[in-house]
Amino acid sequence: MHDWLLSFCQWLEHASLIEAVDNSTWLYPAIEATHFFSLFMLVGTIAFVDLRVLGLAGRGQTVGEIAEQLFPWTWISLGLAVVTGFFMFGSEATAFFDSGYFRIKLLVIVAGVVVAGIIQRKARGWGQSPAIPAGAKVAALVSLLLWIGVILAATEVANHANV
Amino acid sequence: MHEFLLAVCKWLESTSAARVTRESLWVYPFVQLIHFTGLSLWVGTIAIVDLRFLGLAGRRQPAAQFAEQFIPWTWTGFCIGVLGGGLLFSSAASTFLVNPAFEIKFLLVLLGLACHIVVQRKAGKWGGATEIPIVAKLATFTELALWIGVIVAAVEIPNH
Repeated sequence: MHDWLLSFCQWLEHASLIEAVDNSTWLYPAIEATHFFSLFMLVGTIAFVDLRVLGLAGRGQTVGEIAEQLFPWTWISLGLAVVTGFFMFGSEATAFFDSGYFRIKLLVIVAGVVVAGIIQRKARGWGQSPAIPAGAKVAALVSLLLWIGVILAATEVANHANV
Repeated sequence: MHEFLLAVCKWLESTSAARVTRESLWVYPFVQLIHFTGLSLWVGTIAIVDLRFLGLAGRRQPAAQFAEQFIPWTWTGFCIGVLGGGLLFSSAASTFLVNPAFEIKFLLVLLGLACHIVVQRKAGKWGGATEIPIVAKLATFTELALWIGVIVAAVEIPNH
């Protein structure tokens, strides 16, 4: 499996589309900027819902109502982040493949997405009960910590990139 | 003027906060974390309100109320982002001073901040009408464009 992934990464680095992006003076920064922007929207929307569950934001609406308005943008942003991230990954695929920080980043992203999905599914029910259950607040706190973890892992990937 | 700014930058670089940020293996990523976490709140909440006024998001509530709920956390994010950004800047202030990408970024930040203050103050009036006025769509589009511009400039900083 490891060898297969490694050869995939080696192939990817030299794929014409990836090389075209990497060599373009404007396309790569545009993709990078889009990646950051979508990251901010992704974390921002998730964080606001989490803060609402914790009773610290947006108390004019129920958890369900806020979640309903924000989550579509969470998933759109995630999609954008993944697509732009893929292009950024592709240009240095084997280096990222070797990077422990990058693997941690991916793991924490998966965990964060799973928790976000759970929160999205439960949000309406939580909003309809008289008080938001303790379990919900734990989930929201975990979600916040996970996404802060994603940001930290991402900065460490950049700090240790031998690009 | 440039001499003055350079002197201020050198002084900033000499502060212990700047030195620790620059030299400590774990403080620097932590400061970056602060900067990006703050920005996630700031840009994320601003963007979702802009998208609402542009008719693309959260149409359940009147736009004015939708916008209002984000205000405390928008500014909390801003303060956290500036704190992180200030430390990052201080750590190598004199190099950022002469970096054209950073100069553009900072200018766009000032413009974006002014634009946001306008949007926030007008949101009640613009968002209370039955139909979002064209000026509101122009203003929120401009705000989005400015902050995306900030990100583009920021991404170019390491390249200069």
